[in-house]
Amino acid sequence: MDYLATKYLRSRKIPSSACSGCGLGQCHKALVKAIDDLGYERNDIIWGTSIGCAGRQTFATWKGDSFAGTHGRVYAIARGLRLALAPEKRLVLTVGDGDAFGIGFNHLLHAVRTNAQMTVMVCDNLGYQSTGGQYGWTTPPGVVTDSSPYGMFEPNWVQPGRDVLMILKEAGATFLARHVSMDGGVLVETLRKALRNNGFSLVHVVYPCTTNFGKNALGSRKPVDIFRWIKSHAKPLGLEKEDTIWRTGIYLDASNSRPEFSQFMREKVEEIRRRHGNEGAH
Amino acid sequence: MTAETQRDKPGKTDETMKRYLETGNFAVAQAAVMAGCRAFCGYPITPATEIAEAMSKLLPRVGGYYVQAEDETAAMHLAIGASLGGMKSMTATSGPGFILYADPYGWAIGCEVPLVVLNAQRVGPVSGITGAPGQGEFYLSRYVTQGGNFETIVLAPGTAQEAFALTIEAFYLSERFRTPVTILADQLITDGWEDLSIPETEEEKRLMGLKFFERRAHPGPKFYPPTDEIDVPPVVLGMGAGALCSDWTPTEEGYDIETVEAQHKHAYRLIYKIRNHKDIIMRSETLFLDEEPDLVVVAYGTPSRVVKTAVKRAHERGQSIGMIRPISLWPFPEELFKSRATYLSVELNYDGQMVREIQRAAPCGSEVHFFGKCGELPTVSELQEVFDKLLKGEPLQRRGWETEAW
Ligand code: SF4
Repeated sequence: MDYLATKYLRSRKIPSSACSGCGLGQCHKALVKAIDDLGYERNDIIWGTSIGCAGRQTFATWKGDSFAGTHGRVYAIARGLRLALAPEKRLVLTVGDGDAFGIGFNHLLHAVRTNAQMTVMVCDNLGYQSTGGQYGWTTPPGVVTDSSPYGMFEPNWVQPGRDVLMILKEAGATFLARHVSMDGGVLVETLRKALRNNGFSLVHVVYPCTTNFGKNALGSRKPVDIFRWIKSHAKPLGLEKEDTIWRTGIYLDASNSRPEFSQFMREKVEEIRRRHGNEGAH
Repeated sequence: MTAETQRDKPGKTDETMKRYLETGNFAVAQAAVMAGCRAFCGYPITPATEIAEAMSKLLPRVGGYYVQAEDETAAMHLAIGASLGGMKSMTATSGPGFILYADPYGWAIGCEVPLVVLNAQRVGPVSGITGAPGQGEFYLSRYVTQGGNFETIVLAPGTAQEAFALTIEAFYLSERFRTPVTILADQLITDGWEDLSIPETEEEKRLMGLKFFERRAHPGPKFYPPTDEIDVPPVVLGMGAGALCSDWTPTEEGYDIETVEAQHKHAYRLIYKIRNHKDIIMRSETLFLDEEPDLVVVAYGTPSRVVKTAVKRAHERGQSIGMIRPISLWPFPEELFKSRATYLSVELNYDGQMVREIQRAAPCGSEVHFFGKCGELPTVSELQEVFDKLLKGEPLQRRGWETEAW
């Protein structure tokens, strides 16, 4: 990360305060690498984050402007901000699974509906880990957490027939993908594509939480155990096996095919202004 | 003798100004646009819907945006986002939406985001009566979010004309104090039709006493000074300042930190930037206080209009009576409650809210009474009856389901 860190990240926040062995760093690094590959400078990007591990550990790491919303609201703040920002600025959000698919889901859906430009990386640690490890909306079946002591028995949102990315697709997203954090160059390639979309992009990335998920679900805090476990349950789309939990790859690439939120708002306002001037207002 | 004093009562008009027969909702929308508001984010709710409707019509004509949100929480967060991007923004709602604002209020207060919020109070709790005036959010407008450690600025118009002036004032104060400013109206003010003058020229605006403040952007790097100073430019994202804002306790630069010292510095700023500059915010109207009356009636918003009529009549009849109408509600204008007297708080609720604040502010030896109606205004004769009793030293009693008194 050294070259990238020096160029884009604040020394005060790197290394981050994530637990040692946490896979969040892989997600973070992949995104910064994709940003660098596309030649963005620090002031081209406004970086928003959520609460939870994914939000807290990435907040204020970016050398440019950075903001963190309360639980689930960052998508609404980002959509308002999108209206006021110069069109060429890019919004990037790093958020958690609980934030995006639970408490903030309604706001996320409406950002999707309006195709508001934001590249959202959902860094998924498979539950509520910063609060000690409770189950969430992507926790795999049977997994023991502090709030599912008999194993997770509720349906989750990555199972076939109930995939959250399909909901987002129908809701109007223009770029959707899923990966695991150890996907390396493939993940970076996907993130580059997500960033090139002037619209709503979401990349769902599962990463290993050693401290809580590893301990509760696998009975091991050893990074190697959970890294291996996640990797072995991820397969590219079309190559799924019986025990595949995460089908990885690009689910939808309709980049730049539909008007972006702030763009159609600007165009409409211009049109109304031409027709009506400022009649009715003093 | 100047019996009637108006401490910076806003909204002086003159005959040459353009006049309308219009609602408070219309007045607020016109004022917001005039104050430079370019983003209104709302959610339909009676009786504030017409503000949203008016803004959806007006804003595009001046290059601004109306956004209808998925819920009230989102509406205020969208307005926050627009403000963070450098646009003056506003949202409006009523009780059931106002309670959902608790979340974004906290964020906006903590990150010191300028913003204007209007609450057209109706009758509660919960959905209650949609199309009737209430005053149930007196304390909620003070303690708008959890956690404490902040002061709020709340303005309460009594007429559509005043709603116009106070909306412009709210934008002005929100920029100077870097905080959301709440306009606490009620259903009769937003929905009621009234004679309204709207200034058009700079001269007319000056005559009306309107003040405007342009949006500026903080250059960094110390975005959150641990001082009580005002006129500090707010954080604006997208300007290349390396700005930081979050829901966590900030360092001066905006990094998240969990130390008591940093939290105390932050809280000091959020409390004292407002407390120590209260004189800029304070507005009120009083009647006959210089006569040191035995009975002082206190009311804000729409009921204050009936109270004013009743007090004037009682005064004409020779009763020792005066009136206080707080226009800025929070910080509460306790300095108006200097003399030992019998105070009567007239409110549009049955539980008695402002009366508790008067009990706190009134000097030792004062008596403080409450007369409450809800969903409808008190009548002049009802008030006269109450005044007579209090001046005779008789206790007040509630009357069936109609009035609450203590
Ligand atoms: S609790 Fe888990 S997800 Fe959170 S920082 Fe620690 S290892 Fe990472």
